[in-house]
Amino acid sequence: MLKIQNLTKVYEDGTVALKDVSFEVPDGEFVAVIGLSGSGKSTLLRCINRLIEPTSGQIWWNGIELSEVSGEELRRARRQIGMIFQHFNLVNRSSVLTNVLSGRLGYTNPLASILGRFPEADIKRAHASLARVGIDDKADNRADELSGGQRQRVGIARALMQEPKMILADEPVASLDPALAHSIMRHLQQINKEDKITVLCSLHFLDLVQQYSTRAIALNQGKLVFDGTPKEINDEKFIEIYGREAERIG
Amino acid sequence: MKDEKKNGRFPQYYKTGVIILALFLLYAYGLQVTKVNLEEPLEPQRQENLVSLIRSFARPDIFAYETETRRTAVSLRMPCPETIRGSQVSIEGRQLLMVPNCATTTQDPITITGSGFLPNAEILVAWTPLGSTSTRRLADFKASDTGDVSITFTMPDIRPSEEPQAIELVEVVDRNIVGLSDTTYEALDKIVETVLMALMASTIGTLLSIPLSFIAARNLMQNVKAPMTGIMSGIILLPVLGGGAFWIGQQLVRPILSLDGTFLPALQTSLEALGFVGNFIFVLIELAFLLLPLTLGGLGAFVATSIGSRFGQQVTMRAPATTVRILTFVTTLVGTAVLFILLALALVWVNVLGIREFVPEGGWAQLGLFLWPGLVLGLIAALLTLRAPAKHHYPIGLVIYNATRTIFNAVRSIEPLMMGFVFVVWVGLGPFAGIMALTLHSMADLGKLFSEEVENIDEGPVEAITATGANQLQRIVYAVVPQVTPSYIAYIFYRWDINVRMSTIIGFVGGGGIGFVLQRNINQILYTRASVMVIAIAIVVIVLDNISARVRSRII
Ligand SMILES: Nc1ncnc2c1ncn2[C@@H]1O[C@H](COP(=O)(O)OP(=O)(O)OP(=O)(O)O)[C@@H](O)[C@H]1O
Ligand SMILES: [Mg+2]
Repeated sequence: MLKIQNLTKVYEDGTVALKDVSFEVPDGEFVAVIGLSGSGKSTLLRCINRLIEPTSGQIWWNGIELSEVSGEELRRARRQIGMIFQHFNLVNRSSVLTNVLSGRLGYTNPLASILGRFPEADIKRAHASLARVGIDDKADNRADELSGGQRQRVGIARALMQEPKMILADEPVASLDPALAHSIMRHLQQINKEDKITVLCSLHFLDLVQQYSTRAIALNQGKLVFDGTPKEINDEKFIEIYGREAERIG
Repeated sequence: MKDEKKNGRFPQYYKTGVIILALFLLYAYGLQVTKVNLEEPLEPQRQENLVSLIRSFARPDIFAYETETRRTAVSLRMPCPETIRGSQVSIEGRQLLMVPNCATTTQDPITITGSGFLPNAEILVAWTPLGSTSTRRLADFKASDTGDVSITFTMPDIRPSEEPQAIELVEVVDRNIVGLSDTTYEALDKIVETVLMALMASTIGTLLSIPLSFIAARNLMQNVKAPMTGIMSGIILLPVLGGGAFWIGQQLVRPILSLDGTFLPALQTSLEALGFVGNFIFVLIELAFLLLPLTLGGLGAFVATSIGSRFGQQVTMRAPATTVRILTFVTTLVGTAVLFILLALALVWVNVLGIREFVPEGGWAQLGLFLWPGLVLGLIAALLTLRAPAKHHYPIGLVIYNATRTIFNAVRSIEPLMMGFVFVVWVGLGPFAGIMALTLHSMADLGKLFSEEVENIDEGPVEAITATGANQLQRIVYAVVPQVTPSYIAYIFYRWDINVRMSTIIGFVGGGGIGFVLQRNINQILYTRASVMVIAIAIVVIVLDNISARVRSRII
């Protein structure tokens, strides 16, 4: 259970990216986060695992106050929250396998991992994760030798290595063509259903929202303007979320 | 509008005129200050000096020769008898006529003419004074294309004798290279020393600069924040644990390093059997002992800061706000006082501005002197913490970053040659001083360049690795290192080039290597030897340039 209360983020330059945002996500949901560009989707997702420091408000997750922990405890919390990025954020010059194994860093002995040593079980798990997203044959390639769709699968495999209870996906398909987008979304859906992993995923296309998510929340200029099932987004709500000039295509 | 008005009042050409005038005055003054003098280089004596320098450099003393000579003697009387005549000789087809055949004063010119010598032969006019064993050189010249000779000289001093004395024309018949000159051997010896100096300085400098470069990178340090209790507990523990460990280290190595100790000399003798490898092992062991107090001290400091920060973090997270406030207040008071006292003692030790005159002798007395000002300062700092929220995290990372950067920039701005001078004072003449100077400069230079590379990386992977729950060190190894490796390698080669160049001249201040010999040769006006050194330097720099370019292109 993720519970966000009165979350506000003001950047150092004074930009108010999140304004008093509150919502709850029961375990196992697939939540789409929607909103215009600049509405605060990335900021919200990054506040949850504290890649960005919230200015005020609380984030509770399974009894831990995420917004308060630091040091060792923050790392313990982070390792159970996988993250997937629009630009994949792989280490290009490292191999695919190393990229996937790095998802395990929160669990391994720090000294051993710095020397590049991972337990046998982790290596097996890495191959299994790659196999699950269908690219085990690329394990020894350098990450920059892969296509965009393949890179995002590596990103998913890396997140799976964390044995996450929740996955934050920040526009995971925005740099992919529609066919690839669906394949990546299906992987996320499968992970959500089979492994009972909560997914918070920001999306730009409403058809993807309708097809994959069980719930949607919408931000507009940092404020939560919608919280409900995707079907509830009618024309009126749409204007509230995206503004009057937007035209509905999904 | 405003700009238009301004331009109206001060037209562009007016401004340009002022700038040109200012530049004119600047250069005129510069000319005077720098004593540019166009007549001096044109003076005949100066030009002669230059020509002789160039000619000496053009004749490097590379080879050792064995010359085969042929002597033609003619007799000379000192002083002149009543009737002055010429002397004539004819041997094996060589004719010589010396007029006059005597000398009374050192001003009397004597002329020898002759024929039948080898064309263009190098000829030395030599005189062995009667009763002496050493030969004196009176003149040297060359025979003409046709083997004719003609030379006028004077006697350097007059040794009167009954018998006539022999003046010999020593003619080089043949000249054979029999090997390399002593100068060349010295050059080879010293150039090896030079290259090894550069190698050691580059290696140690690089090893030190890599970890420092991460501390000096803004993007890695700006998120390092800690509650004031953590920072201050670290500072309070620092002198206790760091100083304590240092002291223990000293006690441990004292019996081993002490002068009457027998361990090290015995070790050295037993390792001597292994030659330079044994010496290397010995130096490593000795270094380990010498550095033990420092290493332990560093370790103690590390433990102190990590205990402090952990304590601060735990307390700040778990304890209620008032407890945190009180703890922050107390630790800040004590920590600031400790910091102030440590800094003050350090400044007294260095004797900044002659401060030692004004403070009492002895550590405890000085401690007493600084205690109250320290506590007052601590109280002010502690009161200031009340202004921030109880659980505020302070950007300690940025403080460390700025301090490291400042040190790098300061050290980089001092030329290695000047550092070499300081180290020569400390560790004495020789390559060791040179290595230390180059190491220090390399460390600061590479540290700065490396850290700028770190600041330019793609932050995406760092973000991703952070999100997996990795700690700072894992983040560096997995997200930063792969991105910066190619440019680090490029910089290491760049620095190696610089170090080779620098090590060739660091000897000018006594830092060892070939520069030391080069400077000595120049001071003793042994230009043909200096020329060999210059050639050796040029060859090494060119060869290493090529090698490093090749290796670089292969790795990257
Ligand atoms: N580091 C930063 N410093 C200052 N302002 C920022 C920073 N990052 C984001 N912002 C601002 O905060 C607001 C929210 O940005 P955010 O990236 O969260 O939006 P988003 O919904 O993810 O947009 P997009 O769909 O384009 O990714 C924007 O106005 C943005 O300009
Ligand atoms: Mg975004």
